[in-house]
Amino acid sequence: MIGLFLDTILPADPELNMPSGASIGIEAFVRDAATQTSIDEYFILLDQLAQEKFERPFKDLSAENRLQIVELSKRKNNRLANTIILHCLKAYYTNETILKNLPAGAVPPFPTGNILEEDDWSLLEPVYERGRIYRSVSS
Amino acid sequence: MDPVDVVIVGSGASGAAAAWSLSRDSYLKIVCLEQGGVSDASKYPAHYPNWELSRNGEASSKPSERNNPADYPIDDRNSPISIANFNGFGGSTILYSGHFPRFHPSDFKVRSLDGVGDDWPFDYEDVELFFNENEQMMGIAGLVGDPAYPEYKKLLPPVPMGPMGEKIGAAFNALGWHWWPSYSAINTRSHGDRGPCINLGPCNTGCAQGAKGSVDVTYWPVALRQGVEVRTNCAAYKIAMDNENNAKGVHYFDEKGVRQFQEASVVILACSGIGTPRLLLNSKSSAFPDGLLNEHGNVGRNLMVHPLGYTEAVFDEDLKSSIGPHGCCILSQQFYETKADREFQRGYTMQVLRGAPPMETAVSGYMMRRIPLGPDHHKSFSKYFNKSIGIAVIAEDLPDPENRVELDPENCDAHGSPGAKVTYTLGDNTKKILSHGTSKSKEVLEQAGGQVTSSFAPVRDTGWHLMGTARMGHDPKTSVVNAFGQGHGVRNLFVVDSSIFVTSGAVNPVATAQALTLKICDNLRNNLSELMRST
Repeated sequence: MIGLFLDTILPADPELNMPSGASIGIEAFVRDAATQTSIDEYFILLDQLAQEKFERPFKDLSAENRLQIVELSKRKNNRLANTIILHCLKAYYTNETILKNLPAGAVPPFPTGNILEEDDWSLLEPVYERGRIYRSVSS
Repeated sequence: MDPVDVVIVGSGASGAAAAWSLSRDSYLKIVCLEQGGVSDASKYPAHYPNWELSRNGEASSKPSERNNPADYPIDDRNSPISIANFNGFGGSTILYSGHFPRFHPSDFKVRSLDGVGDDWPFDYEDVELFFNENEQMMGIAGLVGDPAYPEYKKLLPPVPMGPMGEKIGAAFNALGWHWWPSYSAINTRSHGDRGPCINLGPCNTGCAQGAKGSVDVTYWPVALRQGVEVRTNCAAYKIAMDNENNAKGVHYFDEKGVRQFQEASVVILACSGIGTPRLLLNSKSSAFPDGLLNEHGNVGRNLMVHPLGYTEAVFDEDLKSSIGPHGCCILSQQFYETKADREFQRGYTMQVLRGAPPMETAVSGYMMRRIPLGPDHHKSFSKYFNKSIGIAVIAEDLPDPENRVELDPENCDAHGSPGAKVTYTLGDNTKKILSHGTSKSKEVLEQAGGQVTSSFAPVRDTGWHLMGTARMGHDPKTSVVNAFGQGHGVRNLFVVDSSIFVTSGAVNPVATAQALTLKICDNLRNNLSELMRST
């Protein structure tokens, strides 16, 4: 169920080379961070809402309908829904594969770093030319 | 414990500078008590891809999130700005961004110039030598020739501003406003025993490569070589006095929680704008029933915290804005000095901040309904990541005795010592500064072609700059220590951290706090033998 949920909120985007949430092995992180109780509670809520709206369990819905249910869950129990969703986002965006695909520059571990190209400090000429702006203080 | 010549409480920015300065006279026996432990740089979060998670855990600026037994409780519910700090060897410099500008000459004379606050008991010129000395020790990058300051003597090359810095710099130029590369405690070439920064980015979780000038890698290695002894996980809770109103030493809990007493000829406090008044207020005795140095009720008063405004804009092009030291890019001091045509006295610094890292971009984008879940998620994310620029407005905070730190006996630390309670209200002048600053931030971001996505003030979780709670001055009725950091009425007790600031300026306080520490310790070294003879 966590996998299906991750694929619903974070589906793959081949055009941007971004894998789906379920394909990078972050289910365990979400389970640890959110506690099993809150996950169980949330997935029961998703199933209840899916039955109410589509008369089918969450897992049997299309991706589009699943997303509708997720949005509904935020209106029903915002605190619980956001707890789970934020854990998923945190897990996804701290995953090494995702950071490399973004790209987010050099990904730890040290010592790989990032190079920023040489700056054009001639941009400061007009600042310098306008002259001193700090105040005189006569003792 | 054998008596020592000097005991320093706190190993952060000012405690480290004091230890280094005083230990240059190698005959002195100096002990530093630090209530936290030593951070292991080889385990800093930036060594791991998931480093962003630590910002809500062990590297959080909030004691309540760190779950660290070294922290004492701080009740800041009566303040729109929450207190940020770090208790450990190196103090808050472990987590600071390294933004390192000095105070300006006018900052020392605000009463004479603008009729607000109070004048300091000395001038910029009296501290200048120590600014230079401190910057050499800390390794400060920047560019000389800044028209917003008297001439800096020597700096390392500036931290790269990157495409985002050039973008916003050109906008400042178009408006005819001042800007300049940030003054940064970040090595841009080898300096001291440390290599140059390689732009990893997350300075605020501890610098994994040691390029950031936190005092555990600048002052302390030298001070330790000079013979200073540091006792970590040792929480000071009371300063002891003798019958002649001299400080006798410091009571503390050692790493096993056992009560100890360190006798010393001189006691130096460097525990921050919250920790220092907490210790003074907790040092009650029959001679000092309201706490030490608190005969006139000034200890803990006049807390200043630099309220911050924040404005962010997103741009169409990739600005690589998440790459590079997060807090150090460029700054503007166009609106720093008082001008007659503005509705407020004093002013502010605009500190240009790099874009948010991936997790923060996703989480804040989701919470602000900018980045949806589902099939459009990644495209929306890519519109923000590496394409945003932030501007923090650092407002000068004027002293107000009602803004204060008190003991909180209802909430105690791991040893049963009272925590701290903060009461703070934004002043009208500060509100006007923040309003002006966020408006001008929008103006320059829009001039650069950005679309402003958020702008608000004050920002709650930004109370790093803790000043004024043991202020210096000539008059014992209105101040806690004299111009040499020496307690009024207790000649061998000194305060050297930003508690002694008379006013706050509108820049990050570390450069000035450390320069003051060096100035105080320079005077102390010259008078130490006389002081030790008489105690």
